[in-house]
Amino acid sequence: MTSCDNFGEFRREVRERQANFALRDASQKGLWKTVEPMDQKIILVTGKGGVGKSVVAAALAFKKAREGFKTLLVELGDESFYQKFFDLPDVTYKPRTLIPNVDVALWSGADCLKEYALYLLKIESLYKLFFENKVSRTLINVAPALPELAILGKVTSGPRRHGPPVPYDFVIVDAYATGHFLSLLRAPGGMAEAIHYGPMGEQSRSIQKTITNPDICKFYLVTLPEDLPMKETEELDAALKSEFKIQGQWILNRVLETPLKSNDLSAPAQGTKKINFEGYLHTVLQRQEKILESIKNKKILSQSLPFLTEEDPKKLVQLLSERLL
Amino acid sequence: MGKLKTELFSNTKILICVGSGGVGKTTLAAALGVSAAEQGLNVLVLTIDPSKRLAQTLGIEGTKDITEVPGAKFKGKLFASVIDHRKIFDDFVRKAASRSKESGSSVSAERIFKNKLYQQLSTTLSGSQEFTSLEMLYSCYESGRFDLIILDTPPAKHAMDFLKAPQKLAALFNEGIAQWFRPRQNAGFFVNLLHTGTKQVLKALENLTGADFIRELSDFFQSIESWQDKLEQRTREVHQMLVHPQTHFCLVTSFDMAKLKEADVFAKEIRKNGYHLTSVLLNRVFPDWILPEVEEKSTDPKKQEIYNLAQILRSYYNHRLELYTEFERKLSNEVQVMKLPDYVEPVSDLEGLRLIGSQLEFGDETR
Repeated sequence: MTSCDNFGEFRREVRERQANFALRDASQKGLWKTVEPMDQKIILVTGKGGVGKSVVAAALAFKKAREGFKTLLVELGDESFYQKFFDLPDVTYKPRTLIPNVDVALWSGADCLKEYALYLLKIESLYKLFFENKVSRTLINVAPALPELAILGKVTSGPRRHGPPVPYDFVIVDAYATGHFLSLLRAPGGMAEAIHYGPMGEQSRSIQKTITNPDICKFYLVTLPEDLPMKETEELDAALKSEFKIQGQWILNRVLETPLKSNDLSAPAQGTKKINFEGYLHTVLQRQEKILESIKNKKILSQSLPFLTEEDPKKLVQLLSERLL
Repeated sequence: MGKLKTELFSNTKILICVGSGGVGKTTLAAALGVSAAEQGLNVLVLTIDPSKRLAQTLGIEGTKDITEVPGAKFKGKLFASVIDHRKIFDDFVRKAASRSKESGSSVSAERIFKNKLYQQLSTTLSGSQEFTSLEMLYSCYESGRFDLIILDTPPAKHAMDFLKAPQKLAALFNEGIAQWFRPRQNAGFFVNLLHTGTKQVLKALENLTGADFIRELSDFFQSIESWQDKLEQRTREVHQMLVHPQTHFCLVTSFDMAKLKEADVFAKEIRKNGYHLTSVLLNRVFPDWILPEVEEKSTDPKKQEIYNLAQILRSYYNHRLELYTEFERKLSNEVQVMKLPDYVEPVSDLEGLRLIGSQLEFGDETR
């Protein structure tokens, strides 16, 4: 046993030395600008599918950029929304500039794991062997919770001072929709419980600690003034509170702004197939008023964003960012 | 309209509604079910996560059994069910385990149920929900109980995820990973392996994750090794079902530039893989209300504000119609393009579902 422990100790030491060397090496070469990693803040944006969370995440990034912060806007998964939305040539793991002070990147579980492995293994040939192997690739693709863990590991790597530096003041994550988002957050806790010893267990606990630290991580739940998204957001909010003690902030998106109240308008006539515009407006405003009232009564930490018809993506995001508190 | 709508269901045993999250797949799957039952078919709608009210309407609130939709008089019959992922996964494991017992190797289902990684797996392993959806679809298809099965697919960021997932899961078995983890007597996991390359790879993995993780992973793969045959066979059967000429895909998409680009990519991708994409359903294309009479300048500030809002919304929908026309022109030679209005209230009752069916507008005809 003793010899085994010593061996483990030795390996860890070598690894740390290699890692430190690589870091020094890289910063000497000017590859990474140094940002105090403890100052980095992380914002995770989630919500039901179709509520506009990617656009809201982008608006948050634009806002931070305007305030002078170097911001990374990250989307998760294998395919990019921002590439299509902003009509960019591509969005990949390596950040690309979207507007001054905002870079955009796409992080998949496999990419995050790959980078982390390279960071730890250091030996290029071993790393190549590992990732060019069909079996390990397959394994990484599906292994329970591994991609989720790698993603959260990467997202929190700045504040945890673990892994290659992420030289940004703010990392804003356009995260998964509600259900998948909870699975993502549950990964480190589940892993820490299953795996008590070794780097996997340690890393999981450290990720969990960072994610639940309100000084580092903020959570925005995007929703609409409609019944279904509201219900789903309430459920997500409750799960975040009970499972992680996380207090999320709501963003009520696409609120129709008008001095009119539903009372000013006549309700739609019953039984007609198509309603007139005033009746439509009455229905929409009534629903909106009810929802705004319930948010106020429940003392939910929230803000509203207006329904905008701007067609130019960058202009739309810019306009929304100006409205964010 | 009648002719085309009949075509949507004719020569169709399975209709799979795909699309990214929040586009209205579940409601539209239910509406298509109602429509088919009205035409006299014996239909099953398999849903993933219906809203409470829709579940009530379909009579499947609080049950995971296949249930006949109550209170409806159709020419045919309409059944619905919510897919119970955990149960289907566990059932599959149990069946696979008992089968492997017959053939000599004995890994009990209980052992895998106890595996800590498995406990996370049946809900979080990527592709597992897609796998269980297809497993459920296959068993209903195999039973021959229904003329038509309509499948609502799990929420995904991107439409293609659904089709990629089972392959990912199947690859886990095809690559023979379990062999790697087979323990050699008292020699640890990595000794005596055939290839030094494999040995090094596993060592790298252990460095990354720790021995504890590798132990669980090893136990996991050894447990599932015995169901490799069963899973491979099922993957083949499911694939045959998916590429069968009577299996059709309906792409449901909401309406903005990014979503339409995605739909375009998806349409190409799906055909390339040998599946039959025969219809595209565009949701929330045009308003479900009548535009007000134009009142250019009103002295009444209330009327003026109503007018202003109507103008804003009108230009918003006009822009959508432009996009729609362009999109339809590109696709209509290959698929049937249908469009639906942006309903004022979310549809969740039978009457509303019927209305959707009757309001499905086909691009070909409206031009």
